[in-house]
Amino acid sequence: MLTPDYTHVLYSLVLVLVAIGVTVWWRIPVTKEITLGPVRAFVQLVAVGYALTFLFEPGRSWLIIPVLLVMTTVGAYAAAGRVRKLRGAYVVTLVSIMLGSAVTLGLMLALPIIEFEARVVIPLSGMIISNAMNASAIAINRFAADMRSHRLAIETALSLGKNWREASRPFQREAVMAGMISILNFMKTVGIVALPGAMTGMILGGAEPLDAALLQLIVAFMLLSAMSITAALTVELTVRRFFTGYDQLRHDV
Amino acid sequence: MEARCDPILELKDLTRTITAGSEAKVVVDRVSFRFDRGRIYTIVGASGAGKSSLLRLINRLDEPSSGRVLLCGQPTEQIRPSELRRRIGFLFQRPHLFEGTVANNLRYARPDLTESAIRQLAEQARVPQRLIQADAATLSVGEGQRVALARLLALEPEVILLDEPTSALDPGLTEGIEATFRDLVDSGGMTLIMVSHDPQQALRMGGAVLLVSAGRVAEHGPAEQVLNDPRTEAGRQYQRRQHDVDS
Repeated sequence: MLTPDYTHVLYSLVLVLVAIGVTVWWRIPVTKEITLGPVRAFVQLVAVGYALTFLFEPGRSWLIIPVLLVMTTVGAYAAAGRVRKLRGAYVVTLVSIMLGSAVTLGLMLALPIIEFEARVVIPLSGMIISNAMNASAIAINRFAADMRSHRLAIETALSLGKNWREASRPFQREAVMAGMISILNFMKTVGIVALPGAMTGMILGGAEPLDAALLQLIVAFMLLSAMSITAALTVELTVRRFFTGYDQLRHDV
Repeated sequence: MEARCDPILELKDLTRTITAGSEAKVVVDRVSFRFDRGRIYTIVGASGAGKSSLLRLINRLDEPSSGRVLLCGQPTEQIRPSELRRRIGFLFQRPHLFEGTVANNLRYARPDLTESAIRQLAEQARVPQRLIQADAATLSVGEGQRVALARLLALEPEVILLDEPTSALDPGLTEGIEATFRDLVDSGGMTLIMVSHDPQQALRMGGAVLLVSAGRVAEHGPAEQVLNDPRTEAGRQYQRRQHDVDS
């Protein structure tokens, strides 16, 4: 079982030095990132370690909801980052990530797969929200790009009497699929190419491999649910913004 | 379908203003015009004069900033978009065909088409019968334009708007498709409104010509008169410019 302390972290700095050596030797222009990166990672992870220790104390489960809200808000902001031009993108990603995560987490609590305690809910929510964030970001970017580059196809459909929903349907499907593709691929190769994070963490922490595998399976299903709901909602809430009330493709989005 | 009304279309003070950045530009400027049923109209004018912009307002692919379009006397904003666009078809400069066969493309417009209806539409648009089961992605631009026309005809439109439909075709193919357009008017009773950058095409098509300049209909009348004997300064300018292009 691996129980690291600060000495181990100090030793592991040798690995950072190796990476710095490689980039200096090949003159890769990442000096700033590679020296600052480990410092930032250290500060952020140690801080979150202390924060979680605080949250996991008995009687503090009321803090779970505000923590999740902060995580969702930041995640949604990051997801909308690249499509700022699209009015209301932030609201779209916020609502989609929030609902995708809430439904998934709610089901896990109701079934019940997990219990409502900070030690369980917060780490799992972190995985849910960060993956939902990626699904939302990929779906909204893909959809916006497709809608802008396939104007002729969309206007052809509209001019043949199709409504806005029918005219944009192929691009809706592509975008939702793009948002889900990473979890679909993950399930195809999981265990063959690499051991996934949650499972690796449990094994290193001393758990039986089969227990670790079962937890990993639940994690995968949980991400599948969160990502598909989030990607579909993101596209559903975005599509109308590309059309006027009279089924005209907008030129200004 | 409405009774056979006439005039089929009326434009009343139709205006479209677009804003690019902080500047507002009037692309269609208070156009009023009546289109009679069963005739061919060709819209000519310099590049950027507003020909295509005007066409896109007629079936409301774009929204007018002010003014009205009446179809059989009914304001088009009161007609559902899907119905309006079935009654006023639009053929784009370059055809977009959907994935699948030519038959799939026709059924995209009307899912209930029978095999024989598809054959008939193909014949009407002069699409060779052997192409009906061909993959649409393998067609030439000329074939694609005919398939797009057949697909449009599947909706049995009363008016067809054509946005430079032959600009990507060579002269032989152009004359063939022009003959198809004339058939639709002569035997099908349709109304055709075509944007063209080529005054010769307007003369070949016959019918009426609308000369558009700076977003307005500067002159209109029989093709021969507007193009060969213009009565307005804008008309004479257009004639001179075309003469310079030809010589």
